Amino acid sequence: MKEAEKVFIGGLKEELIEDKVIDESQLEPGLAEEIIKFGGKDVMTCLQCGNCTGVCPISLKIDYKTRNIIKCCQFGLKKYIFGTRWVCATCYRCYEHCPADLNPAEVMIALRHIAVREGIIPPFVKTAATNLVRYGQSVRPDEEIDKIRKELGLAVVHTHDEGFKSVIREIQVLVHASKYDKLIGIQEEIKV
Amino acid sequence: MAEPAKKDNDTVGKTSTKENHAGTSPKVGVFVCHCGSNIAGVVDCGKVRQEAEKLGGVVVAKENKYTCSDLGQEEIVKAIRENGIERVVVASCSPRLHEPTFRKCIERAGLNPYLLHMVNIREQCSWVHSHDKEKATQKATDLVKMGVSKAGMLQPLVAREVPVEPVSMVIGAGVAGIQAALDLANMGFKVYVVETQPSIGGKMAQLDKTFPTGDCAICILAPKMVELSRHPNITLLSYSDVEEVKGYIGSFEVKVRRKARFVHEDKCVGCGLCSEVCPVKVDNEFDLGFGQRKAIYVPFPQAVPLKYTVDKENCLHFKSGKCLLCVKACTNQAIDHKMQDEVLTLKVGTIIVATGYETYEPMRKGVYKYWEFDNVITGLELERLLNASGPTSGHLVKPSDGQAPKRVAFIQCVGSRNKKINRNYCSRVCCMYAIKNSQIIMEHEPETDIAVYYNDIRAFGKGFEELYHRVREEYGVEFIRGRPAKLTQDPTTKVITIRAEETLLNKITEREFDMVVLSTGLIPAPGSEKIGKILSLTVSPDGFFAEAHPKLRPVDTAMDGIYLAGCCQGPKDIPDSVAQAKAAASSAAAPMFARKVWIEPLTAVVDKELCVGCGLCTELCPYGAPELEPGEKGGMKAKVIEALCHGCGTCAASCPQKAIAPMQFTDAQIFSELEAALVEKRQNGKKRAEAGVS
Repeated sequence: MKEAEKVFIGGLKEELIEDKVIDESQLEPGLAEEIIKFGGKDVMTCLQCGNCTGVCPISLKIDYKTRNIIKCCQFGLKKYIFGTRWVCATCYRCYEHCPADLNPAEVMIALRHIAVREGIIPPFVKTAATNLVRYGQSVRPDEEIDKIRKELGLAVVHTHDEGFKSVIREIQVLVHASKYDKLIGIQEEIKV
Repeated sequence: MAEPAKKDNDTVGKTSTKENHAGTSPKVGVFVCHCGSNIAGVVDCGKVRQEAEKLGGVVVAKENKYTCSDLGQEEIVKAIRENGIERVVVASCSPRLHEPTFRKCIERAGLNPYLLHMVNIREQCSWVHSHDKEKATQKATDLVKMGVSKAGMLQPLVAREVPVEPVSMVIGAGVAGIQAALDLANMGFKVYVVETQPSIGGKMAQLDKTFPTGDCAICILAPKMVELSRHPNITLLSYSDVEEVKGYIGSFEVKVRRKARFVHEDKCVGCGLCSEVCPVKVDNEFDLGFGQRKAIYVPFPQAVPLKYTVDKENCLHFKSGKCLLCVKACTNQAIDHKMQDEVLTLKVGTIIVATGYETYEPMRKGVYKYWEFDNVITGLELERLLNASGPTSGHLVKPSDGQAPKRVAFIQCVGSRNKKINRNYCSRVCCMYAIKNSQIIMEHEPETDIAVYYNDIRAFGKGFEELYHRVREEYGVEFIRGRPAKLTQDPTTKVITIRAEETLLNKITEREFDMVVLSTGLIPAPGSEKIGKILSLTVSPDGFFAEAHPKLRPVDTAMDGIYLAGCCQGPKDIPDSVAQAKAAASSAAAPMFARKVWIEPLTAVVDKELCVGCGLCTELCPYGAPELEPGEKGGMKAKVIEALCHGCGTCAASCPQKAIAPMQFTDAQIFSELEAALVEKRQNGKKRAEAGVS
């Protein structure tokens, strides 16, 4: 494409066309069934009343609209759904208020399952998984923390114990057996 | 079961060559219906017919595009006349739809109408198996086979005629009950109207104005109430409850308890002197706690009958044995604190149920803080506040301080369309009453800011959409699409902040209001469960009474002679309630004009030889049809009152002696169907077993 063609009424042509119109190719109507498969309720029952967004503690602070995500699930707009951040804290307030008896929090969990299976994994998930198989906990042991613990008279974190090695080993076997390592992409961390 | 066995030695056309292994069964005609493409689109009707032709006893097998059409019916008549068919099997839709049609059809041809058997290959086959045409065809073939087998065992029955008393009873005197009673009375029938409250008028009497025209509710209702009380054909039994209903269409026996109102209705002139001197003041239920009344009272000025009632709960005389100021004040000696309840037994031919509705009561610890914030009220409470004869003489004020609110919010769908509280239905009136009330508020106080929090606006009726537009455009009422999430109150100013997502803007909004009106939905009246049990009415999943057919029998119930009017059947606005009341009146009038009805003979029959008089059937029957009577040879024997029996079969299923069975559903008939369904499979099984042995 020539440089001149890209320019279109004061903006790039792609930029103007992209995302402004949702066409047939972006819709995946099977998403609702997929969500049910991963433990969510039927998103088609949602009437878009907006009660979930109103009660969501996250929605008040950042641009995150529970209702919008559910709507996108109805259409199967994966592109939009997978573009949102994993900020749902699963506090279940939305479930408490939902008049359609839908459980948006569980839909979010189901969506994460689907996203991971499609290879869309936020870096923090990978980090946490790596920590789990390395240290037996999702938070990495820290020298700084060890020092504070010592000052407070607390015992050393058990990940440093020699005896804990077998526990980590056990975790690794489980992670490998459940193919979680392959799913997240941390096979190299596990020596089986 | 002894069957009128007929030898199949008359040779009729094509069947003469066909093998007829039974040899003795009556001649059967099978008519397979295409129902356009409803059946034929899935089931291979040609194949079903061919298979039917091969069955024993089948003389004629035909297929039709529409068997219920004139042409299709003519074919049945022709087959009966020409081929001498004795039993007719129609494989088509549900018998609920066309059984009467085909019964009449074969009666026309000279056959007993009960020698018809309908095989449902539409609702129970083609519609539910559209994904597997081959198996659907197989199922239809099997069903026809079963039907033919049963048809051979059908017996001719005769419908029974019972007389109908030309007297009706209307239970509940809201606008629907009043209208139904007036219509029947104007047709010349005697009508008893039973109302549990001291005055008739129901919920409509509490309303301010009606949508969409803005007519004053009591102004259009009061003339009807007065007309009812003065009508020579109507006996009004106010402050009365229906206690027991026995009998069946044509001759119901109803026990009505006239609750003691401690005032003689014939002597009271409604002057109100008693009420003036009464020292007790309590909240008036009619004003939903906003206004007050005395312990001797009429609920509202236009009450009919305008007879005072003593509230036993609060009257000082009943508490302390003293007072009696009202007795001294009454110039007609109408008040009698020793009055007792009275039970009347009335004989009526038909009953119209118009027990109405109740409004949903918001939850105690709900999000909308109805019980916690003073200035959160319900829609019906707002009606009383706006009503010129209400506690505030029509001035809208905040309950917290008596000042007029500057900003008012309506919250829609409170107690409707909510799966959490099992109220899945739309209450149909809330959108419009919120719109109507916002218009009235704007007319009273044009400076008020009004916002309506809604999910969907349902302005479906005549003139409704126009009102919705007028309120938006002329009055500037704001409509916010979103369900409020949180209500908070300023403890000093009592200003309420509503947080909600404005879904059309995709933004969370927080707005302040002086008053919040919850548009509460409609739920079944509290007493309707009891009435439903007394009358054996069925209830829909939403809790309202179920009509016999949602489209074609909207005012009838499963009980013959009992009809529904108004909101007891489901939420309705006033025009719909009145329309349904008129329909119920005309439905109830039909048997009363004829003075007789034909009762289905498909009732349970008791074999006295087998019956041991255990009485299990009398306990289990939902209609109270069987009763025990002394047998000829001593001991008790069950007997079925045919007019009450619906042929449901509960008794037959429970009878330990197999002594009771509904006609056309005897054990022998049902087993013959099963036999037909299983015979081929059993043969196959045998073959397989033999093959295994060899």
